Amino acid sequence: MAIVLSASLSSCISVQEYQKIYLNDEDMILGLRRIESFEINFQTYREGALGANGGKVGGGCGCN
Amino acid sequence: MWMQLNKSAFSLAMVLASIMAMGQAAEDAKERQEQDKQWLKKTALTNVEVNILGSYYSQDGNHSAVTGGTGTEELTDITPAVIVIIPLDSTRQLTFDGGADIITSASTDNIDFNVSGDSRNDLRYHLNVTYTKRLARPRLTYSLSAGFSKEYDVFAKSIGGSLTKEPRDGNSTFTLSGQAFFDAWKLYYPVELRPPGSNDEDPQGNDNRNSYNFGLVYSQVLSKRLQVSFTADVVLQDGLLGTPFHRVFFNDGVNVDGLSTVEIMRSNKLRIVENLPRSRTRIPLGVKLNYYISDLFVFRGTYRYYSDDFDVTGHTFSVDLPVKVTPFISITPFYRYHTQTASRYFKPFGEHEINTEFFTSDYDQSAFNSSKYGLGIRYSPLYDIGIFKTPFTKKGKNKFTHLKAIELRYAYYDRSDGLNASVISFDLSFDLMTGKRR
Repeated sequence: MAIVLSASLSSCISVQEYQKIYLNDEDMILGLRRIESFEINFQTYREGALGANGGKVGGGCGCN
Repeated sequence: MWMQLNKSAFSLAMVLASIMAMGQAAEDAKERQEQDKQWLKKTALTNVEVNILGSYYSQDGNHSAVTGGTGTEELTDITPAVIVIIPLDSTRQLTFDGGADIITSASTDNIDFNVSGDSRNDLRYHLNVTYTKRLARPRLTYSLSAGFSKEYDVFAKSIGGSLTKEPRDGNSTFTLSGQAFFDAWKLYYPVELRPPGSNDEDPQGNDNRNSYNFGLVYSQVLSKRLQVSFTADVVLQDGLLGTPFHRVFFNDGVNVDGLSTVEIMRSNKLRIVENLPRSRTRIPLGVKLNYYISDLFVFRGTYRYYSDDFDVTGHTFSVDLPVKVTPFISITPFYRYHTQTASRYFKPFGEHEINTEFFTSDYDQSAFNSSKYGLGIRYSPLYDIGIFKTPFTKKGKNKFTHLKAIELRYAYYDRSDGLNASVISFDLSFDLMTGKRR
């Protein structure tokens, strides 16, 4: 992770606001997509592994 | 004399340089202030946003934890949800996120021996309210949230907060977040494990589970087409981590081969309620990379590493490939692969030794790999899909609702232990506007 992080940061360039037409595209959003929240919820319940995906990590039973 | 003149000229030059530098600094400060104003303006929400979402989830399998790692896992879940974002002014907004789960579960039906009894159906409803405030200087966004969820055996409360820092160049963001969940459980044991004289309607006790999540997210623009984010979470849980109506059957020599699930439940094979340690630390780390390949294709890739002190280690990879059929229609095929090792407390049906301290036969905690694949489609034209008068508004008030985007998604999930699931979801995005049509 640290290697990827440092490699990424050393290679990044400064992109001006007017140059962000691609980065601002709806399909380029890095955050959680609302419609995916249902799938993240069931994966949280059906897998021992959870978190690091913007979904919830606790609260409620989820034991059905 | 010459020296004195030189000194005076030098002093004058210094004063002039200082004045010019101060002037430049003032110019720069003004420019930064203007940039900050523009940032606030750009990110400000001007209309009330409403999202109406829903999904239908259906699963089947043959390793239910309610019946000790054997028996049906058939379940359906209908999940309507509404998200409303209300701008209070140009820097503050309130988000209401509420919904329900309408669950029908064949496995929880086996808590008691009444087929299609009350335990088959469950209703869960939840609400979360988030207050968000943005500060132009030093470009901080903070949020505070509180919520609850209620189902027949658990009442959960949650609080949370986050702080996001965005440097002036707008090429990176750093978010710190924290959430706490406080679950109050009513303990309903499997019918044959309830204390004698128990009333079926009343719980056999109460317990609590607390979960605390601390997260860091760093995102960085790498080029005009490439951006990446790194996520690190720590999740601490304490209290009741087992589920009171999950049975665990022991290796006691009683042979139940060939018996049906109901016959096994009615047999004299030794069983106890699932028991797990009362604390668990989970560490998930994730990286996400989005690349705008061309005006036709976008690549989104994620990887997550997971580890916890129950010995579960997991690796998750996913790839989405949105295809822009037109500038307003995007079709996204996706694939996700997950693999994990088993919890040290997991053993299948009838394999736990009698003298074990902690035990579960919940296959969610077993070693498996899973694949999920499907397709999403989004339609979001530049000038809305449709405009209509907002319902429930007073006569004479011109309020219009703009349907901005429609999104549909189907996913199929297949787990190597035989569990499979399908989920179909939709998202309708609306803008509520006052006065005039856009």
